[in-house]
Parts: sequence; structure tokens; C-alpha cells
Amino acid sequence: MLSKLKALWRTMTRPAKHISLGVLTLGGFLAGVIFWGGFNTALEASNTEEFCIGCHEMRDNVYVELQQTVHWSNHSGVRATCPDCHVPHNWTDKIARKMQASKELWGTIFGTIDTREKFLAKRLELATHEWDRLSANGSLECKNCHEYASMDWDAMSEVARTQMEQAAERDQSCIDCHKGIAHELPESMAAASGALAGLQRQATSRFNPGQQYFSIRQLPLFTDSALSQEAGILNSGSVITVVAQQGDALQVEIDGWRKTKGFGRVINEEFGQNIREVTLEKEVATDDSMIQGFEVQEDPLTGLPWQRVSFQLWMGKDDLVDDREILWQEASELYVKNCSTCHSQPEEAHFDTNTWPGMWAGMLSFVNLDGDTQELVLKYLQKHSSDYSDGHH
Amino acid sequence: MESTNPQEQSKRSEWLSFLIICVFLFPILSVVFVGGYGFIVWMLQLIYGPPGHSI
Ligand code: HEC
Ligand code: HEC
Ligand code: HEC
Ligand code: HEC
Ligand code: HEC
Repeated sequence: MLSKLKALWRTMTRPAKHISLGVLTLGGFLAGVIFWGGFNTALEASNTEEFCIGCHEMRDNVYVELQQTVHWSNHSGVRATCPDCHVPHNWTDKIARKMQASKELWGTIFGTIDTREKFLAKRLELATHEWDRLSANGSLECKNCHEYASMDWDAMSEVARTQMEQAAERDQSCIDCHKGIAHELPESMAAASGALAGLQRQATSRFNPGQQYFSIRQLPLFTDSALSQEAGILNSGSVITVVAQQGDALQVEIDGWRKTKGFGRVINEEFGQNIREVTLEKEVATDDSMIQGFEVQEDPLTGLPWQRVSFQLWMGKDDLVDDREILWQEASELYVKNCSTCHSQPEEAHFDTNTWPGMWAGMLSFVNLDGDTQELVLKYLQKHSSDYSDGHH
Repeated sequence: MESTNPQEQSKRSEWLSFLIICVFLFPILSVVFVGGYGFIVWMLQLIYGPPGHSI
């Protein structure tokens, strides 16, 4: 046996005596073509839904659930299949994902999720892997089909438009807000929709000029009392002062601070603290007849000058409350409920006001909150950070 | 076919080697290399996080 192998090796490493160079090259070339074709066919075959649901673990759980969703049947007749959402298109990442599937093979052999009970018990862990991946690539797989730039905001509901337009500006990852789009969510996850419904039931209906009110969710602001020319978005949990009322519209005054860099579209609640109150349209932010400017102060930490500003705009009468404590109470409950699933939630005063947004953004892919709720809880955390609590600093 | 001719014998083994290389050795090596590359990328992803961690 060994001598035969040795003889074979000798033949392989010596120049051919009997076969011509042309025949050898042609043979190698043809073999290469056939191999490449076969390799890609195999890769493609393993990238079909039929392949994925070949395993009962995938078929009996997630596949059945997908059939209840918009990605299974919709007006457009476009079907999203498993690989569309789960397998990267980029060649290197695709090959890496295929290798990663050895974990799935292992899981099948050892039955890690071979019953519904085992699957449900492991679901949070599996879903967290996918959220982590989608969060890191900014939901690239979703964006292969959906594109912010091609969305028709006017065709959307007000809630969808307000949140999605803000998300588009930041190119936010879809999965921050659209968890459970294709399968059921892990059991421990609180429902996102309706998180603020309780607050909306406590909304004020009577308004007194000169009094302060607070927004429950992100609300559009307008330059005219007919509420037709959009001027910007009031953030969740922000303060406005009513100036006048006209039919279904309120004229409101907003005071805040902005950095005197760029267009100054973002108005913050206080000097030096990045607590977002309003995001203005560019035309409004740069219009000196709309925005009244006052004193300028330099932020000692960043060296950036901030200016105090005040302006009056119009808005609808929905979703405002007259007591901010109502908002903080709800936000505090939402915070504890959502952020204690994996680790105990950090103390509000553990971070300062300008550190919270980064911490918060890093965890959004793990919780099921819509954009309005995300902003409200973030504002709650910022307003109860170490900058505002007595115990710290 | 017991060929006694050493010429014939070495021609046969040349064709045999050629076929083994084309049909088994190189295809298997290619798959091993591609798979190994994928595996290394996966391990790097475990250490440095999933792809796209630029922000
Ligand atoms: C060999 C059977 C099998 C096939 C084929 C299969 N899966 Fe899985 N899959 C599993 C098992 C088992 C697990 C659980 C692995 C574990 O316990 O970590 C799993 C887990 C997953 C996860 C969770 C990911 C993670 O990192 O934890 C996703 C997503 C997934 N599969 C998608 C797919 C897609 C997409 C396909 C088709 C390209 C597919 N699977 C084909 C058996 C399979
Ligand atoms: C294969 C293409 C494709 C991929 C990939 C895809 N989608 Fe979709 N998505 C669609 C189509 C088609 C519709 C239905 C449009 C319609 O209403 O006709 C849709 C609808 C939606 C809707 C509207 C839901 C509703 O109830 O109206 C949301 C939200 C959504 N997708 C989010 C996502 C997210 C998040 C991802 C990534 C995890 C994703 N999509 C990946 C094609 C895709
Ligand atoms: C800040 C949170 C947020 C982010 C990020 C976000 N969305 Fe949305 N999206 C929403 C909300 C809220 C709705 C309205 C949901 C509803 O009406 O139930 C919505 C609605 C939709 C709809 C349905 C629109 C309609 O006509 O009703 C689609 C499609 C959609 N989103 C896709 C996406 C995609 C794709 C991405 C990523 C590129 C994305 N969303 C990112 C919050 C977000
Ligand atoms: C529209 C995009 C989309 C499609 C299509 C899709 N998934 Fe998913 N899948 C997701 C997202 C997003 C998650 C992360 C968990 C979540 O948000 O529900 C996920 C999670 C999973 C998980 C982890 C367990 C869980 O339920 O969270 C598995 C396994 C899985 N998908 C397999 C599949 C298989 C198999 C198919 C095809 C039958 C499929 N997915 C089709 C988007 C999709
Ligand atoms: C699905 C599990 C999960 C949930 C839910 C979750 N976290 Fe985390 N959190 C983690 C993990 C894992 C880490 C450590 C790894 C990391 O930094 O990504 C972490 C780390 C942190 C850190 C420390 C980060 C640092 O750099 O010091 C903070 C702060 C934090 N989480 C806040 C939150 C908040 C606020 C929420 C609610 C929005 C939340 N977490 C929800 C899993 C989770």
C-alpha cells in the first residue's frame, strides 16, 4: 500500500512523459470549470428555503410562524425567504455563515432544539444572536429590499412617518424598532405596540395659555395654524408652553439651546446637555425670522459655543399631558421591565446626561420598544442621570 | 490487464495520477481552503463582533 502511494507521489511530482502539455492543461481547465459550476450550484442549493426547512427544527417553529406575516403574502407578491433575511450576500460573510452552520448541524445531532419546549426555552438566545448581527450591519439584509430613500412618507400613517423619518435621518437599524417581524418574539419580551397607550388615555384635552405641557410621543410641529407646513418634530417627553389656540391647533412656544455649528437643527432642553427637544427642518432652523436668538455660552467640556433660542410654532392637540411626573412614572416602569431581562438595569444616576445616549443606542437592538418609547425612556434616564441626582457629583 | 511493458505501466500511472488530482485532490483541497477561510472569518467575528462594526 505504502509503496503504491509512494509510486503515485513520484508520478505526480515528475514531469509527464506520455501525456502532452496541451492535454493536461485542457483536462485541468475542464475540471476547474466543472468544479466551479458544482461549487456554486451547491452553495445556491444551500441558500434556498427548501434547504432550510429540510430540518424539522426550522420547519416546525419559525417557518410556520413566517406564514402568518406580511413577508409571506402581501399586495406586491414579493416573498422574503429565509436566506434573504439570514444569509449575508457578501461572499466572505456568506462563506463564514455557511461554516457557522456547523453549529446548527451539531445542534441537530445533539437535539438542542428538537422539541417545541426546548426551542422556546432557547429562543431568546438564538434571537439575540440575530439581533446582534443585524444591529452590527445596520440591518443590511432588510435594506437589500427596503430602502429609506425610496419610502413615500406621505403614504404612511402619522405614527409611522414621524418615527421612520427620524430613523431615516440617522440611518437607524430597522431591527431597533421592527423585532418579531418574521417570527414570534421570545416570551419574556413585553409588547412594544401600546406601551404608550396608557399614557395617551391620560392626555389633556383642556389647554390654558401660558401653561406648560409635555409630549407623550414624538409629534410634528408646523409653521401655520392649518397644520400643513411641517417645521420639525417635537421629541417625546418635551416641554412646550401654550401661547394660543385656534380650532384643533395650538400655538406653542419652545425654549432651548443649540450648538452654533452647522444648521442648528437640533434644539436641546438645557445648556451643555444633549437632551433633544426638537429637530427642526433645515429651512426653519436657518430662518432668523422664525428663530429668536439670545446669549451665547461656551461649553467648557467640548469648547463648542451654545446659543439660547426661542421660537413659536403650531401643533395638534393630541398626546400632551400637563404633568411630567406621569411620563416619568411610566418611563421608569418601562425601563425596569425591558432592561432587566439579561442583567439588572443600571441605576439611572450611574451615567451622566451626555453618556446615556451612547449606552442606550448600544442596547436598543436587544429590546422591543418603538421609536416613541425609546425616546421617552432615554429622556427619562437623561433627566435622572448623575447630573440631576443629589447623591452623585 | 497485467501489462508487463514498463512504458505502458508508467503511462497508466500517469493517467491515474492525473485523474486523482483532477477529480479528488484539488477539489477537496479547494473546499478545505474555502471552508478554512470561512472558519477563520467566523472565529474572527466571534472575537471582534459581527461584520459591520464600523460605527
Ligand atoms: C441541519 C438542520 C438545519 C438546517 C438545514 C438549517 N438549520 Fe438553522 N438551526 C438548526 C438548529 C439545530 C439550530 C439551533 C442551533 C443551536 O442550538 O445553537 C439552528 C439555528 C438557526 C438560527 C439561530 C442562529 C444562531 O446564531 O443561533 C438561524 C437564524 C437559523 N438556524 C437559520 C437557518 C437558515 C436561514 C437555514 C437555511 C440556509 C437553516 N437555518 C438551515 C438546524 C438547521
Ligand atoms: C425579499 C425582500 C424583503 C426583505 C429581505 C425584507 N422585506 Fe420587509 N417587506 C417586503 C415586502 C415585499 C413587504 C410588503 C410590502 C407590501 O405591503 O406590499 C414588506 C413589508 C415590511 C414591513 C411592513 C409590515 C406591515 O405590516 O405592513 C415591515 C415593517 C418590514 N417589511 C420590515 C422588514 C425588516 C425589519 C426586514 C429585515 C429583517 C425586512 N423587512 C426584510 C420585502 C422584504
Ligand atoms: C425608530 C423606529 C423605527 C425604525 C428604526 C424603523 N422603523 Fe419602520 N416603522 C416604525 C413605526 C413606529 C412604524 C409604524 C408601525 C405601525 O403602524 O404598526 C413603521 C412602519 C414601517 C413600515 C410600514 C409602513 C406603512 O405603510 O405603514 C415599513 C415597510 C417599515 N416600517 C420598514 C422599515 C425598514 C425597512 C426599516 C429600516 C431600513 C425601518 N422600518 C426602521 C418605526 C421604525
Ligand atoms: C423578513 C425577514 C426574515 C425572514 C424571511 C425569516 N427570518 Fe428568521 N429571523 C428574522 C429576524 C429579524 C430574527 C430575530 C428575532 C426576531 O426579531 O424575531 C429572526 C430569528 C430567527 C431564528 C432565531 C429564533 C427566533 O425565533 O428568534 C431562527 C431559527 C430563524 N429566524 C430562522 C428562519 C427560517 C428557517 C426562516 C425561513 C422559513 C426565516 N427565519 C425567515 C428575520 C427573518
Ligand atoms: C438581550 C439581553 C440584554 C438586554 C435586554 C439588555 N442588555 Fe444591556 N447588556 C447586555 C450584554 C450582553 C452586555 C455586555 C456586552 C456589551 O457591552 O455589549 C450589556 C451591557 C450593558 C451596559 C454596559 C455597557 C458598557 O459599555 O459599560 C449597559 C449600560 C446596558 N447594558 C444597559 C442596558 C439597558 C439600558 C437596557 C434596556 C434598554 C439593556 N441593557 C438591555 C445584554 C442586554
